[in-house]
Amino acid sequence: MRSWILVRLALRNVSREARRAVLTCSAMALGLALLVFSRALADGGHEDWIDAGVRMGQGHIVVQAPGHLESGSIDDRLSAEQVDAIMRAIVDVPRKDGPPSTTTRLSVTGLASSATSALPVRIEGVNPETETEFSFFPGKLVEGRYLEADDRLAAFVGTGLVERLGLRLGSRFVVTAQATNGEIEGQLVRVVGIFRTGLDEADEGMVHIPIGTARSWLGAGGATSVGMLLEHSLEVEEILGGLQDRLQDPGIRVMSWSEASPELYAAVKVDDYGDYIFHAILFGIIALAVLNSVLMSVLYRKREFGVLQALGLSARQTGAVVFLEGVLLTAFAGVVGVIFGLAITWGFFADGLDFSFALEGEFDFAGIVLDPVIVPEFRWVQLVQSAWSIGLVGVLASIYPAVHAMHLDVAESMKFER
Amino acid sequence: MNRDTMASSNGKPAVRTVDLWKIYPQEPEPVEAVKSLDLEIGPGEFVAMAGPSGSGKTTLLNVIGGLTRPSRGEVWVGGVEIGSLKDKDLARIRLEHIGFVFQAFNLLPVLSALENAEFPLLLRGVPAEERHARVMELFEEIGLEGLEDRRPGRLSGGQQQRVAVARAVVGEPALVLADEPTANLDTATGNALLDVMERLNHERGTTFLFSTHDPRVMERAHRLVRLVDGEIENDERR
Repeated sequence: MRSWILVRLALRNVSREARRAVLTCSAMALGLALLVFSRALADGGHEDWIDAGVRMGQGHIVVQAPGHLESGSIDDRLSAEQVDAIMRAIVDVPRKDGPPSTTTRLSVTGLASSATSALPVRIEGVNPETETEFSFFPGKLVEGRYLEADDRLAAFVGTGLVERLGLRLGSRFVVTAQATNGEIEGQLVRVVGIFRTGLDEADEGMVHIPIGTARSWLGAGGATSVGMLLEHSLEVEEILGGLQDRLQDPGIRVMSWSEASPELYAAVKVDDYGDYIFHAILFGIIALAVLNSVLMSVLYRKREFGVLQALGLSARQTGAVVFLEGVLLTAFAGVVGVIFGLAITWGFFADGLDFSFALEGEFDFAGIVLDPVIVPEFRWVQLVQSAWSIGLVGVLASIYPAVHAMHLDVAESMKFER
Repeated sequence: MNRDTMASSNGKPAVRTVDLWKIYPQEPEPVEAVKSLDLEIGPGEFVAMAGPSGSGKTTLLNVIGGLTRPSRGEVWVGGVEIGSLKDKDLARIRLEHIGFVFQAFNLLPVLSALENAEFPLLLRGVPAEERHARVMELFEEIGLEGLEDRRPGRLSGGQQQRVAVARAVVGEPALVLADEPTANLDTATGNALLDVMERLNHERGTTFLFSTHDPRVMERAHRLVRLVDGEIENDERR
């Protein structure tokens, strides 16, 4: 028998029970649409997290001296020659949009003190020209200005630090840290700009000063890190590989953001697992919808399947018809679900979902400040995976009813009254 | 199992059972629906099986039709022992060599009269044009012309049973098994249906085996086999 006959029979059986088919397809399509939407939202949300995280931190790709990540010590730093080699390698790695934004920092943990108080802080010696487009902090300016290229004793500080140290714009305060000579050295700086992120840890504990000032104060050439900012976190793997190939110096360690910011990476992963659970529940609902629909139709049509077998359909072919019914339902639902999912994701929420209504103040998580507006992100691979997953669930859920139909007792099923 | 094997069975009995048993395992005791039954039906016979309810008529038809397997013994259809065939070979025998007419008609509700009747040909892969022509010829023969597009729900009981007969014979099977085909029909309709089947038997040489309680069927049968408690009580040729 030609298999198209079985397909035709299955198609006819699906279409005959239009209401059942529509209800089943609707449940599946809605599930798939939710899946497409939730994955787009999750991807968009994660990308926002990563973007905010790398801008508050050191970039998508970070180059440091080995051991600096663990020690945080200025002694574990890159030399000026190594920084030059890194910059050449960055330019050398082929990239569609040209060399990425980079920034060079000399960072140290120290103390900020005024006449009234003192607080432990992270002091970042930065290049003001590159930092403006790289870092999250200049965009959070609330008073004054960000550092400029010819600044020397300027400092950019958070509102928390200003408040705790009793500072204001133009105030002077001292930053103190251990220099490369082992001595505790102080540096007088003046507040030229004040930022507010809403994250206490940053607002009280972060100070930007010009990198030249930091170098001379600490007696340290080179940098503690060179960061690269990419358009998208999906670029990281390729660029990282290219850089690692070009920087074989054992005194240089090239890391992705996930290695450099393990807390952020863990937060993304935890959220991923939450999504997986949500998706598993969705898959379960969809599987039950298909299973229920196809199995009920088998139980309801026992006599009919008996007749089909009496007329010459084999048990296997009968099972195939039932299986194909499930597959067809899944296929219809898949197409509708993808269209519906794309429509709700980009038709209604292309500009993002604003969660600020549910939040008071800033939205921070895992030590980073997040934008309360999450913009869904389209990824073909996610769409294809979602459609495949739903297809697989539909196919698996059709197996049991098909096996059930195969094992019908033909003579007994002919007695079945509908 | 293939068509050639069946074709070569010409001249052999249409049906033969040898020490045939069908036992249903039930508590407290198994039910012996058919007991050591030996029966031979020649090609072209028009045979009725009568007997009280529970005498094993339907079970015997199901075993002969390959819808259920015998517990013991042999069942031959057109020279092929079907009791031990694989499922797919049995399905092929049913498709190509046996037609069924059921008491409850058992038409497929979503198909039109024409589609129901042509269904066995569709399963065989007969081209649409040929299917249509063969069914239309049959419909004309048995008085169903003009009703081709009606679904079973819009046909009378007699019309539905005639569609079922058309479905049973359209593939020109060697054997038609009919389980109480007139039970749900009024007298006139039942007689008309018997006319149709008798004519097909006469003109096409199709072997008919009925199970029935209907005296009209018994009267018109060329041979009457009476079953009691799964055994042949009487086998009368006319």
